[in-house]
Amino acid sequence: MSHGELTGNQLPAEPEKATLEGRNKILGFWFFLGGEMVLFGSLFATFIGLRNQIADGPAPQELINLTMTAVMTLVLLTSSLTSVMAIQAMHRKDTAKMYLWFIVTFLLGLTFLILEIIEFVEYVHHGHKFTTSAYSSAFYTLVGFHGAHVTFGLGWLLTLLIPFGRKGLTVTTAPKMYVFGLYWHFVDVVWVFVFTIVYLMGKVG
Amino acid sequence: MADHETTVTGQRNKRVIHEGPKNHYLTFALSIILTLLAFVAVSAGFSPTFTIVFIVTLAFVQALFQLVVWMHLKDRGHTHPIWGLVLGFTVALTCIAMAVWWIWW
Amino acid sequence: MAHTHTVKRYTGLMDWLTTVDHKKIAILYLVAGGFFFVIGGLEALLIRLQLMKPMNDLVDASTFNQLLTMHGTTMIFFAAMPLVFAFMNAVVPLQIGARDVAFPFLNALGFWLFFFGGIMLNTSWFLHGAPNAGWTAYAPLSTQFSGIGVDFYVLGLQISGIGTLIGGINFMVTVINMRAPGMTFMRLPMFTWASFIASTLILFAFPALTVGLVLLMFDRLFGANFFDISAGGNSILWQHFFWIFGHPEVYILVLPAFGIISEVISTFSSKRLFGYSAMVFATVAIGFLAFMVWAHHMFTVGMGPVANALFSIATMLIAVPTGIKIFNWLFTLWGGQIRFTTASLFAIGFIPSFVIGGMTGVMVASPPADFQFHDSYFVVAHFHYTIVGGVVLGLLAGLHYWWPKIFGRMLNEKLGKLTFWTFFIGFHLTFFVQHFIGLMGMPRRVYTFLPGQELDTLNLISTIGAILMGIGTIFLVVNVIVSSMKGKDAPADPWDGRTLEWAIASPAPEYNFKQLPLVRGYDALFKEKMDGRSELTPAEPLGPIHMPSPTILPLIMSIGLFIAGYGFMYQNNYVAVGGILVTFICMIIRSLKDDHGFHIEVEELQDKGAKA
Repeated sequence: MSHGELTGNQLPAEPEKATLEGRNKILGFWFFLGGEMVLFGSLFATFIGLRNQIADGPAPQELINLTMTAVMTLVLLTSSLTSVMAIQAMHRKDTAKMYLWFIVTFLLGLTFLILEIIEFVEYVHHGHKFTTSAYSSAFYTLVGFHGAHVTFGLGWLLTLLIPFGRKGLTVTTAPKMYVFGLYWHFVDVVWVFVFTIVYLMGKVG
Repeated sequence: MADHETTVTGQRNKRVIHEGPKNHYLTFALSIILTLLAFVAVSAGFSPTFTIVFIVTLAFVQALFQLVVWMHLKDRGHTHPIWGLVLGFTVALTCIAMAVWWIWW
Repeated sequence: MAHTHTVKRYTGLMDWLTTVDHKKIAILYLVAGGFFFVIGGLEALLIRLQLMKPMNDLVDASTFNQLLTMHGTTMIFFAAMPLVFAFMNAVVPLQIGARDVAFPFLNALGFWLFFFGGIMLNTSWFLHGAPNAGWTAYAPLSTQFSGIGVDFYVLGLQISGIGTLIGGINFMVTVINMRAPGMTFMRLPMFTWASFIASTLILFAFPALTVGLVLLMFDRLFGANFFDISAGGNSILWQHFFWIFGHPEVYILVLPAFGIISEVISTFSSKRLFGYSAMVFATVAIGFLAFMVWAHHMFTVGMGPVANALFSIATMLIAVPTGIKIFNWLFTLWGGQIRFTTASLFAIGFIPSFVIGGMTGVMVASPPADFQFHDSYFVVAHFHYTIVGGVVLGLLAGLHYWWPKIFGRMLNEKLGKLTFWTFFIGFHLTFFVQHFIGLMGMPRRVYTFLPGQELDTLNLISTIGAILMGIGTIFLVVNVIVSSMKGKDAPADPWDGRTLEWAIASPAPEYNFKQLPLVRGYDALFKEKMDGRSELTPAEPLGPIHMPSPTILPLIMSIGLFIAGYGFMYQNNYVAVGGILVTFICMIIRSLKDDHGFHIEVEELQDKGAKA
């Protein structure tokens, strides 16, 4: 870049928005999230339409363990908070803190994923497989797509954090961190609807 | 800190919120409370219709807070993202309306 | 600052495989789209030749089903859409006074994903058979009663769909963030407006297709039960998702065509577009309503009279803003100094053709009437009038209009007019009679018909029309070849244009504008001309221009998904995972490697100026 890589105190106030590339990335990502809303909306629509078609599989009331769901929700919600803390640290130019908060985010996200895998294995043992019924296919597709987004996010975070020590915080790396933050929040917002519509509504009937 | 307060010319930015963790912690606390409320509502055994309407509303409120505070939709320069989300939401709602009313057995 | 990184510039084939330049990507889209258009046209010809007489046995029923499926799928996804993207790429950055699109890397990726999706779909002809469930692939035909061909459909469209989505986001951000100083939204040329709205439609419509295709793929390959009624699924769900995507899709095609018509009519009437604000609002209204009408494809499914009535009204509503646009084009022509070039002939020919299509659209929008029209040739006539009479005529107008800007050469006018008349007459011959064929009861998607039903002559006429359209296309190809043998001698502004793209050389230089222009009004170039200026007012001093670097990664990423697609459909996990891994590794490389681009220095710019 012709203006060199500003670092430390030379960095402008909102480094992620300081370049045209950065602003483009952020706006483009917001639009991508708009499209993701339609994607998840369609998956939710499928689930809502098919949620009573349990064929000869177990009913959601007997299947769902709300304690597990509550723990997973708490974990993911906290990870969303820690990602906010990371971006706040970035705005304060405190790269060490930013790095730390992102690591905590990663660990919490990983915990969520592990819990979800344990949950799925449990469900399969109870006879709730992908091919069991329309309800089960819709369940695993919706919740699985969310889990896939979490997984992708964790991989993405790794590729951002690993070279970060060498690159440091610049007007090029700042938008990447910010965009990741947006993605991670979005994944959490989707989970809010997943636990409401799949798990809570499943228990209610 | 205080990055959003004034521009070089001294004009106040629209919707100035002091940059700082307070609002974010508040949103976190609110999210926990709303989530807890939803779980409690389900165990409390109200009528299914009421429970569903209640927990879905709670979900929307929580989502809105997270979007507006954690994702900075309240800050200036977010007109286009807001439009993007509103339109996306409209289409998503259309899909859900379709699934609720227009498929049959 | 010293530029210590070496400037990697490729030549020849590598230049095309690694380019991230929107102008080259436009040419790639043009060539690939043109190629698939010819394939789709050949499929159409075979269909018409089979139907040229009753009880014909040119092709058997199975082949016929594959032909009609591939014709529809290829034409919409791999011919029309890429040609629209070709013009969006070639023209939009120039019209807004920008140097490139917002995401040049993603632009290239979008192209290669589309390309490999199209190649994958067409390899089905040589492998286990092309998809044969119609371009609409309704369940349960597509889930339980089709061969592996439908897997090619699912994966080919899924891969190219990602490319299209990327392209849509790219143009939205480009138009919002990269306009030259003074280029407010209400000074944007109509083609740019139309591209912007079409890109928004892409963003919100394609995810619905993505989900539909995922559900279809899961049902077919992994034993899911979304569309299987015996397991509690619902086949109609597919139709809903397909059309929630499918209806906006046709507006994604036609809105840019409308944009082209606005540009061409205005230029060749030497007159400002009539009612610009109304045109903008009409385009926005059409775009919005596009999402509210999808079930008009499903009137006979059994949603009930209330749902049918609601969708019917919404559908008829779209005719209002569309009618506004038609009238505004007519009022632009009225009182103008009309020049009849190939481009303007196509644009003027578009008007009655598309109006006929829109008119039959209002007819089929009425559910009780549609119970008779549905699945008959009347519907085939309707949508070909809007797609060929609307989208294709618009694209051909744009092709002849912008050819000099893209290639630096003029297309031959005589050959162009020959193309127009043969194609136009052939088109009407082919499809006008199909209204009557449909009203007389011939269903669509049938591979033959019995004699003695008075369908023989009309079908024969329709086939003759199709052959004429083929001849028109040959004239176009000859024109392209003839013009490519000349030198690059096209002037910067061959048509006395009104918009910014005509202010720079033909073909446009690598950096587009030496200095980003200051826009002082709508029809920005015309404004400068009226103020007696021969050049645009610059908005910045002359300085080094930063350009993005070429890269082979988009190509490799697309190949990765291409390979993975075969892995999925042939149930080979190693190939599937391997392909996806290739793509992910490329993504990681892209993330880790810093691409600083390169600079074109002021001396180079001044050199080029001196040479010209």
